[in-house]
Amino acid sequence: MTYEADVQQGAGTRPADLYAELFGKQASTLEVVSTGRLSQVGARPPVRTYLSQLWKRRHFLWAEARAKVTSGTRETLLGQAWLVLKPMLDGVAYYLIFGKVLGADMGIPNFLGYLVIGVFLFQFTTQCVTGGAKAIPSGRNLIRAFTFPRASLPISVVLRGVLNLVPTLAAMFVLLLVLPEQEHWTAAAALFPAVLGLQVVFVTGLSLLLARAAAAVPDLNQLIGVAMRFWLYGSAVFFSIDRFSNFPWIVGVMEANPMYMVLNAARDTLLYGVVPAMSTWIGLGAWSLGTLLIGFLVFWRAEESYGRV
Amino acid sequence: MGVSDLAVADPFAQATVAVQDVSVRYRVPSTDAAERKRRVNPVVRAARTVLGNDPKVTVRALSGISFVAKSGEQIGLVGQNGSGKSTLLRIIAGLENPAKGRVLAESTPVLIGVNAALVPDLSGEENIRLGCLAMGLTPAQAEAAVPEVKELAGLGKSIYLPMKTYSSGMGARLRFAIATASNPHILLIDEALATGDAAFKERSEARMQGLRKSAGTVFLVSHAAQTIEESCTRAIWLNHGRLVLDGPAEDVALRYRKWAWAMAKDKPDEARTIIETAFAEREQTRVQVEEPRSSRLYTARHVRPPMTSRRRNQGDKT
Repeated sequence: MTYEADVQQGAGTRPADLYAELFGKQASTLEVVSTGRLSQVGARPPVRTYLSQLWKRRHFLWAEARAKVTSGTRETLLGQAWLVLKPMLDGVAYYLIFGKVLGADMGIPNFLGYLVIGVFLFQFTTQCVTGGAKAIPSGRNLIRAFTFPRASLPISVVLRGVLNLVPTLAAMFVLLLVLPEQEHWTAAAALFPAVLGLQVVFVTGLSLLLARAAAAVPDLNQLIGVAMRFWLYGSAVFFSIDRFSNFPWIVGVMEANPMYMVLNAARDTLLYGVVPAMSTWIGLGAWSLGTLLIGFLVFWRAEESYGRV
Repeated sequence: MGVSDLAVADPFAQATVAVQDVSVRYRVPSTDAAERKRRVNPVVRAARTVLGNDPKVTVRALSGISFVAKSGEQIGLVGQNGSGKSTLLRIIAGLENPAKGRVLAESTPVLIGVNAALVPDLSGEENIRLGCLAMGLTPAQAEAAVPEVKELAGLGKSIYLPMKTYSSGMGARLRFAIATASNPHILLIDEALATGDAAFKERSEARMQGLRKSAGTVFLVSHAAQTIEESCTRAIWLNHGRLVLDGPAEDVALRYRKWAWAMAKDKPDEARTIIETAFAEREQTRVQVEEPRSSRLYTARHVRPPMTSRRRNQGDKT
């Protein structure tokens, strides 16, 4: 495939450096290689190849997420028990503060259930968003050691969030059953996994999007905390949307907010035994798939840049 | 070591890595006072002072590097600290992209770096599994590779301890062992073996020789010219991001040694003479990349697909 041929250093060839000009009679070897056998390293593959590469690394993603989840509690005395204990204690704290001390139900039926669902599901989004924005810098050791599709890192953050969510959800269901208020358990509760699935798709897209943005502009990490606070209050986690019935534009903005849709649909299925409205499904589906598509393409386009210091 | 027989160029050796006119630049903040005094837009200067940012300078880490590596070669990279050896390895590995030029390789090169810690909280054993999966092995393959990697690393019971408790030498041994688990065709070693002890050196060299025998290519960075002379067939000398010399390991290593000696003895004139002679004698390599000719330009009629399906195929291609 390769052959060598001496070519003369003519006027047309660009001198590689100053010395080449000084010692003009320098011999030059021409090496010809073919792209048939060699392919460019570090080049961004087409979307389809990239997706299949990602799929091949699914075991790595899973192993990495699992390792990170358990390593967070490794130094503690109770170890993995904290994964369940922490959300339980959070729930108890909300119960004591809102249920006993403040006694504030703001006219919401089954307020504690409302609160617990809102807080736990929103916490998952927060975790994925802040983790996704830091995915590239915190995965730099792996990036500089192995060649793998870099989208593995923000996706692994979401996987870690899902693994953390499992004990949290268990705690949530225990609280819903234990708390002294009436839920209407109907077949609608079976739709809860679908709501959760759409949320996972949505935060995956967001995590990919922010991973690229924050890798390019690290200042974003400072802003995300503030943005998340606004989002928390804009998603009706602690209070009902009815509060703003005098300001129709606020209601409009909140209802278009994907996290509000997630929380609302989750509460409908679990607390009130209602099947969420069709408009919620369509809106949430559009948000989720749209964010995933845009996030993936945006992240993929800069694939070659993540190794830079 | 049987270097002499390897040094004979194999006429059937195939190119495994082609580096074509690669240049790398970094924009990095500098605390150099001279940079600060440089004439710039007063607004920029004021903004810098307020934000506490240092002025950025361009560092040319590599400029105009071209060479082709063949199968069965073990190529040593020599040069002083900061001459661009590690950058070149990262570029070849595809972990970073050059500002100009490109690198082609036959398969995915595997880099063993000095500072690539895996997951410090996990034990060495778990890191082996994770590293294997990261390189694209299936869980079954990773599981099968674990005993071999453990043995090559030779860490005894320490393999079950968290990696953050390892000494730098132990970490380097583990990384080397993990990186060779996937039997890479192109292996890039960044001084990872310098910290290993004598017993490990022996084992790792045997492993590298095995990889090379199976028509692979090994790149090795080392400051010690002796290591290069002993174990490499070819050497590349870099100085300030430029390629000084590319040739048989003995010759390059000897000249590099003389130059390093002159630098150490504070004889810059002598050092410059050596480097200029090397530059002058160097054979410059130009790499030309050819797209393979499409075999479909003409297809004999009797093997042509029917008209309709051919049209569809053409539609797919565009």
